[in-house]
Amino acid sequence: MTGTLETIIRGLGNGSVYALLALGFVIIYKATRVISFAQPALMLAGAVAVSYLAPVTGFYLGALLAALLIAAVALGIERVAIRPMVGRPVFVVAIITLGIDVVVRVVVNSLIGRDVRQVGDPWGFDLVALGPLVVQQRWLAMMAAAAALVTLLFAFFRHSKYGLAMRAAAYDQETALAQGVSVSAVFAVSWALAGFLAAVAGMFVGTGQGIEQTTWIVALKALPAIIVGGLDSLGGAVAGGLVIGVVESLFQSYQGAYLPWLGQNFAIVSPYVVMLVVLLVRPYGLFGTREVERV
Amino acid sequence: MKSRYVVAITAAVALLSACGVFRGDDEGGQNARTTGVTSEPCPSAVDGNKGCIYLGTISDLTAGPFAALAVPITDAQKAFWARVNKAGGIGGKYEVDVTRYVRDNKYNPEVHRQVYNEIKEQVLGLAQTLGSPTTAAILGDLKANSVVSAPASWTSAWEFEDVVIETGASYCVEAMNAVDYAMEAHRPKSVMAVHLAGDYGADAAAGAKVAAEAHGLEFTSVETPPGATEQGRAITEITRAEPDLVILTTGPADAATIVGQSAAAGFKGRFIGTAPTWNPALLKSPAAEALKALYEQSSPGKSWDADTPGHQAMRASLPGVTPNDGYTSGWAWAYPMKAALEKMVADGDVSRAGLLAAVKSLKTVDYEGMLPPEAGNYADDPDTAAFRQTLINKPDDSAPTGVTEVRDFFTGPTAKSYTFDGPCFAKL
Repeated sequence: MTGTLETIIRGLGNGSVYALLALGFVIIYKATRVISFAQPALMLAGAVAVSYLAPVTGFYLGALLAALLIAAVALGIERVAIRPMVGRPVFVVAIITLGIDVVVRVVVNSLIGRDVRQVGDPWGFDLVALGPLVVQQRWLAMMAAAAALVTLLFAFFRHSKYGLAMRAAAYDQETALAQGVSVSAVFAVSWALAGFLAAVAGMFVGTGQGIEQTTWIVALKALPAIIVGGLDSLGGAVAGGLVIGVVESLFQSYQGAYLPWLGQNFAIVSPYVVMLVVLLVRPYGLFGTREVERV
Repeated sequence: MKSRYVVAITAAVALLSACGVFRGDDEGGQNARTTGVTSEPCPSAVDGNKGCIYLGTISDLTAGPFAALAVPITDAQKAFWARVNKAGGIGGKYEVDVTRYVRDNKYNPEVHRQVYNEIKEQVLGLAQTLGSPTTAAILGDLKANSVVSAPASWTSAWEFEDVVIETGASYCVEAMNAVDYAMEAHRPKSVMAVHLAGDYGADAAAGAKVAAEAHGLEFTSVETPPGATEQGRAITEITRAEPDLVILTTGPADAATIVGQSAAAGFKGRFIGTAPTWNPALLKSPAAEALKALYEQSSPGKSWDADTPGHQAMRASLPGVTPNDGYTSGWAWAYPMKAALEKMVADGDVSRAGLLAAVKSLKTVDYEGMLPPEAGNYADDPDTAAFRQTLINKPDDSAPTGVTEVRDFFTGPTAKSYTFDGPCFAKL
């Protein structure tokens, strides 16, 4: 039983990171109806920024500065590359984000170099006892950070002026414009927020194991998470991320013993199996908005 | 619903773009004497009166998992051939160019084949074809056209291919020797092979299996995907089964994650990783203490700071670089090609067929002490020719590449008595 709980905590830890990444995807999607494929590169850039800043400023300040830096980078990308495309088909903009992803990764890869870079986190692979459970500290740190960020984010959307503007713009851009909401500012803030979240996620991906040029692939796990949760639901992104993390962790620990006929390493495809099942049962995701189409 | 299609299509495009390549214009024609050989001098010739032999390089230069090794390998080979050219070239008649046809395979077999097709009519052979699955993608063509190629991988499959001139023992032998070494040093009762899929990981796992069975040890194998974040299952299996010895064949970040997290969970067994599991930067990772306590590295050759004429020449030719055993491997891999080219020119048949004939006549290669000469046997049958000596290193903060030797070249009893009758990985 303790083994299962430890496995679930590992899943929730990794799932928290997927949730942060998924939130970034969903925030941009809600504002602009575009899936931004630049998130993996921003995640990697965040991790690399921390790895350079942490030795100078210390880890916590370095992490904050890195996240703000990547938020600024994301804002800059939106202003330079996405802004001129307003009004164009979303597919075109999505393809542009793919190009941005490649460009940013090429730049970041040159900063990573050949060796594995360390983010200088205080947790490493250290363990902590929670009663009978022994779990890695970094998983708890991931959960705590994600919980704090999600709380702040939801408070921002619910109680702040900008949050209200973003919700209004997401609901109906033209009406929001007519009411004096600056939709352009909403786009910009959504990219900055997504960049911030991706950078924090990247920093956590790098804890313990470090980062290398191929680390960006982790960010793709957020894709099944957003489909599971529903593309336009912030709560869904969090739930989707956690579900994907826990399912993956359970498969890593138990599939070999109980479902050996699925072959080794079924854990890798398990997020996509969950995604398929959810799509069959609820095509708009667990918390997504059902689109009404008149024929 | 539309947006979901957009996601699906764009995800597909994302995957495809990862496989794509961006390249500049191709090179112009040459005054060809035979495929890949011109009577014109090389682009950066030392002696303008000599002809030029063009060799291609297909390596993991940017985005793949082995870029950290591949870039130094490629740089070392450029330095190697520059030294050969400065010393008078091949048989006093030719210089060798390895800088004009360099391509990036991104460690993707499809890209590998694509870029190979681009350059294959311009080169006599390949100075480097990096990776086992990638090289397998072009092997049929290499054989059909007698394109002699120096691999940058150590799979046992190369023992059985005439056109591939391997250097140093295979992963299979490396793992056999690692288990034999552990029998003396750590006396394990159970062995687990934790390995990537395919002819890198599975080759070593198969060798470990043969050795474990020979010693009557309990053996299990766990296939694991690449990526440090994907190692949860491997760690669970290790801490659950608690083998006395784990033979690792993964990338370096994966290895550090597995060793670090297993040790943190209380695992006390030993790890021996194949050569590509090590990277000097791991000594700065949170797994450093665990690596120093539990990990050793098996290796097909001596590391950067060894005191042989070959190592000295390499260090002298690569001033100012950060020591990395990618350089060492790349440099050593070039010797058989040099020996074969010299034999080809001496025999007078400067062509792909002539080069292959030269390869088939080589019983020894002068590695300038980096490896014993018999490591370069391409004349005998695979079982006789297979080189079976490897070394064991351990992490060491003070060594330039982070490891020092604990056991010099040796052949364990398992490898000595093993009959090579097919690639090991097929037998796992």
